[in-house]
Amino acid sequence: MTVPSLLSLLLALAVTLWSSPVSASSDYHEQLFLQPLPQSSLLASFNFRGNSSQQSFDNQHFRYVPRALGQILQHAHTKELHLRFTTGRWDADSWGSRPWNGSKEGGTGVELWAWIDAADDEEAFAKWITLTQSLSGLFCASLNFVDSTRTTRPVVSFEPTGHHPDANSLHLLHGTLPGEVVCTENLTPFLKLLPCKGKTGISTLFDGHKLFDAAWQSMSVDVQPICSSDGDCLVQIEQTVDMVLDIERSKRPRDNPIPRPVSNDQLVCDTSKHYNADDTCYPLEKVTDKAWSLNEIFGKTLNGICPLADSSEQSVCLRVPHEKGVFATPGASELKKDDGFTRCFSLPASGPFDLSIPEQQLQTEVPLQEPVLHAERTIVGHGQERGGMRIIFGNPSETNAVDFIYFESLPWFLRPYIHTLQATITGHDGIRREIPASDLVTETFYRPAIDRERGTQLELALSVPAASTVTLTYDFEKAVLRYTEYPPDANRGFNVAPAVIRVLDGANSRPLYIRTTSLLLPLPTPDFSMPYNVIILTSTVIALAFGTVFNILVRRVVSVEEAAALNAQTLKSRLLGKLVALRDRFGKKEMKVE
Amino acid sequence: MALKSAIRNLRNNPQLLFVRLPPLLSLICILVGVAWLLLLPLNEYSRHTYISENALLPGQVHAYFTGSEQNIFRGYKQELKVLLNEGGQSENGQDEAEFTPAISAKIQSILQVAGLKVATQKYEYTSAGITHQGENTYGIIHAPRGDATEAIVLVAAWKTADDELNLNGVTLALTLARYFKRWSLWSKDIIFLFTPDSKSGTQAWIDAYHDLHPASVHPLPLKSGALQGALVIEYPFEHRFRNLHIVYDGVNGQLPNLDLFNTAVAIAGGQMGIGANLQEMWEHDDSYEARLQTMLRGMTKQGLGYATGAHSSFMPYHIDAITLQPKGEGWEDEMALGRTIESLCRSLNNLLEHLHQSFFFYLLMQSNRFVSIGTYLPSAMLIAGNFTIMAIALWMRTGFHPDNRAEKSTNPKPTEKTVTPISKDASAPEISGHTIAERLLALPLTLVTGLHLLGLVPLWMFNTLPHQLFTTVTYVVVAVDIVFPLLLAALLRNGLGLFTPLVPQQYLLIKSFALLLLGLSLSTLATLNFSLSFMIGLLCAPLSFINRLQCTGVKRYAFSGLGLVLLNLLSPPTVLIGVCWYTGVSVETVLTQAAFGWDVWGMWTQVVVWCVWWPAWLIGCVLLGSSMF
Repeated sequence: MTVPSLLSLLLALAVTLWSSPVSASSDYHEQLFLQPLPQSSLLASFNFRGNSSQQSFDNQHFRYVPRALGQILQHAHTKELHLRFTTGRWDADSWGSRPWNGSKEGGTGVELWAWIDAADDEEAFAKWITLTQSLSGLFCASLNFVDSTRTTRPVVSFEPTGHHPDANSLHLLHGTLPGEVVCTENLTPFLKLLPCKGKTGISTLFDGHKLFDAAWQSMSVDVQPICSSDGDCLVQIEQTVDMVLDIERSKRPRDNPIPRPVSNDQLVCDTSKHYNADDTCYPLEKVTDKAWSLNEIFGKTLNGICPLADSSEQSVCLRVPHEKGVFATPGASELKKDDGFTRCFSLPASGPFDLSIPEQQLQTEVPLQEPVLHAERTIVGHGQERGGMRIIFGNPSETNAVDFIYFESLPWFLRPYIHTLQATITGHDGIRREIPASDLVTETFYRPAIDRERGTQLELALSVPAASTVTLTYDFEKAVLRYTEYPPDANRGFNVAPAVIRVLDGANSRPLYIRTTSLLLPLPTPDFSMPYNVIILTSTVIALAFGTVFNILVRRVVSVEEAAALNAQTLKSRLLGKLVALRDRFGKKEMKVE
Repeated sequence: MALKSAIRNLRNNPQLLFVRLPPLLSLICILVGVAWLLLLPLNEYSRHTYISENALLPGQVHAYFTGSEQNIFRGYKQELKVLLNEGGQSENGQDEAEFTPAISAKIQSILQVAGLKVATQKYEYTSAGITHQGENTYGIIHAPRGDATEAIVLVAAWKTADDELNLNGVTLALTLARYFKRWSLWSKDIIFLFTPDSKSGTQAWIDAYHDLHPASVHPLPLKSGALQGALVIEYPFEHRFRNLHIVYDGVNGQLPNLDLFNTAVAIAGGQMGIGANLQEMWEHDDSYEARLQTMLRGMTKQGLGYATGAHSSFMPYHIDAITLQPKGEGWEDEMALGRTIESLCRSLNNLLEHLHQSFFFYLLMQSNRFVSIGTYLPSAMLIAGNFTIMAIALWMRTGFHPDNRAEKSTNPKPTEKTVTPISKDASAPEISGHTIAERLLALPLTLVTGLHLLGLVPLWMFNTLPHQLFTTVTYVVVAVDIVFPLLLAALLRNGLGLFTPLVPQQYLLIKSFALLLLGLSLSTLATLNFSLSFMIGLLCAPLSFINRLQCTGVKRYAFSGLGLVLLNLLSPPTVLIGVCWYTGVSVETVLTQAAFGWDVWGMWTQVVVWCVWWPAWLIGCVLLGSSMF
């Protein structure tokens, strides 16, 4: 692709910023990247990166690496950490390929993976639990629910991004919480990790109302050691927030956010239609991009630069065609890059900064890079007992096959039958052909589930030929849970974590990741009022049965003659009886006194 | 003590216990069963409806679908009308209402411009020699922050369930799609589905959604998450409407969760001020008669088990769905219907779990009154139980040798209570409690099993033959029903050298097995499809009381002949012809619809008719016919 794309730009930015810092002992950078996307959307990509030397990190001398996080990592012997909070889904059809090649995002909910230094698996797991518990507190997320059933140890899907001199003792553990709802309580601790804590710099734009109204949004924290060739190591912390905002929605005033029908005179109608009248309107959708400014979109202006960052840095970049008119606050300097689309701004040292783009019609459009692979995963079939998984991989490229690793971790109550794994391929001609799955799958890493202990872990190395679509299907069985294992909202279904796809691209050293949407698995769910009905019913039955049996056992059955004898008691026996009764009573009293 | 002695007397009197008492008990069961059903509409036995799922919050939000949206509605409608007229001219006005590719393309372009993801799906079904084909068009609004785990479906069929052109309904769905896209509060994806008709389109789509479609149906290129509910929009006329008719019956008598129906009634009535009707009861005065009529109409639809609208196909997949039909002349316009749907979608959007709180088994008798399964089930169970009682009694009775001494002392005195010959057991061999007989099981078992398997023949014929032959075949089956039992009876009586002629005990065993199977099937069916079980149970009720006649001479021929004629009037094909004659629908139409139901909807009514009802009826006829020979 001749035209540099959004993604390669981000990469270039990352790489240029990366190459320098190894020499410097510590530094801090922040960057905001904005790109309007089709359908009135805007991608805002925030990146914050700080370093500290390994030595100062080990001596607990924290500056850019926050103490709260640094101490957790030291305590849990974690050498490299990746934490993701994601909501929504990236619409690859309209928005093209993902920011950062998908490497800075996670599956829906929370995703965490880390390389932990430990002697063996048990020790690594114990430290992992320490890590998840601590991070749970730090980020106000339910990470403490990442237990053994939600933890996997991927073999080929992830590789450390940092440099580790002693890689042998490192253990990779991976956990997901697909049902976790990411919201403001996760943003606040995230902001606190930043050196400027959202007071100055680009982080001032973070507003929970706008951020969590985004169509897609991902927050990430990465901590990794970076070593130079001569053995000097740095600990690098990188935090990113990517979001796709709906421009129209974000511009609605906060006191009147309801999209009421517009008044008749504000309707944009196609007047060329013969029926067009005052009361009849065929709506004409706007062809021009909408006008927007930072203030309108984020509800705030950018408040100066973070004093810790390099003041000469161009920390706000915008990707629109160069001929487009963009108005920035006076005092900010603009630099247009050679690619014809990117321009960056250096912020004024203090005071607010705003960008404003008026509505204008342009011939050129910013090209979007086609995603290299489309993936869709759905649950098929219906019923309480069985189901099936269907995964569709589409390769849009006309020339190149795509090699990738498909990784999914399934909860233990979803029991896949791997022998039913089948593949169909649809090529150029549009004809579906059944082929043996082994023709596509070059390698399989499979760790079966153990009930209530661990989930299924499946990694497949696959190859999809050019311009074809591959469908993988397998059947599964749904387990019946114990009564107490159901969550309060059992009838909603159970979340199945998104699958992670790592595209293997020889030329590109940076990994390319795609994640599918998460799934909802309906399990056989008892009617929870039923147990109470059953208890009441069985109690009644038992009471009835017990009553009759007790009656039969206790009742004395005597013949008529015996009964007559009993009734006709002599005076002597009656007296004797009274005596016995009296003695019993006295005896009891004495007992009580004692 | 009195009870004890009564039981002891009963035990010492098997004649009373096994011969006299059971028919009486059976009759009581049937009568109580019917009376039970008739009691249900009373206030004491039915309940007020209520919203069980608190998350639904029906009518708690303001619906904003008004104002300039109506201009857009008119614009879209004009756009579709233009295409409709173009299609009409080329087809000579005959097929002007067809869902043409041009209309599909227009719908797609409108949805696409509105920002939805659009896809189409082709399908084709062949049933009874007729090919049904079409192309579904659908668009998905992605929930702004959702991740495709849950979805709501809005369906607008080009043709309504009554085969009228649903132009306003389709336009309304398009306008709503554009309007809904602006809202950011959706927690679930919203799928707008446009089908060419109400019969096969949704079925093809929902089958493909779950990947359970036949080869003639294309798979869906675009999917979302688990479907939580479906609403079908119909508006097939131009004038304003007064009431909202809510159709809720699914295939095989499955019903949507009562909460969905209640929400629709609450929103229409409480929020929008539109009255809700059900079961085509336009003038419901809440009297006993009106309630009973509503309930019986509901039971008829449930019992027949056919799809009453585009929503019916969703039910087998445990997706709750209803159809909203504006009816009558009034002052509510399409925007009012739109607001109702908006509010309903908002309620469904609130759902945290799949609808499960309220009832799935209920009989509605007014838009705000229902009976639940616990109250109505005994009625069908009693009727099914009557067969079981008779079957057990007959089984016990065949365990004793007929005592000749006793037979002489009692005189045959048939008591005629109903038109069918009942309680002929007085003339049957009497029983004394001490001689135990061996049961000859082989032939009765073979016969009963064989006749039940024979039911597969008409089942196969009525589902595979071309529709032109259906009327003829029905009359052929009527003729076979007259002749075949007599032939079989003669064969059993004479043995033809293949086997020894039947002894009286075997006749009783045949009846016992037949009734046992009938009772078993119907009581099981009652839990799944109450109405069907109830209807079949009533139609089979005479079979409990039919026996081989033992009287002599002309009387025997007269009684058995009369009995056979009456029984033949109650045979499945005759009942079908009778009902068709009464309702004025042709037999061919009904059977074509039934075959379509079997092939496309997965309807099971025929199986019950031909493999439960018909064999039981046949055995009754054989028993009665055997007294001729």
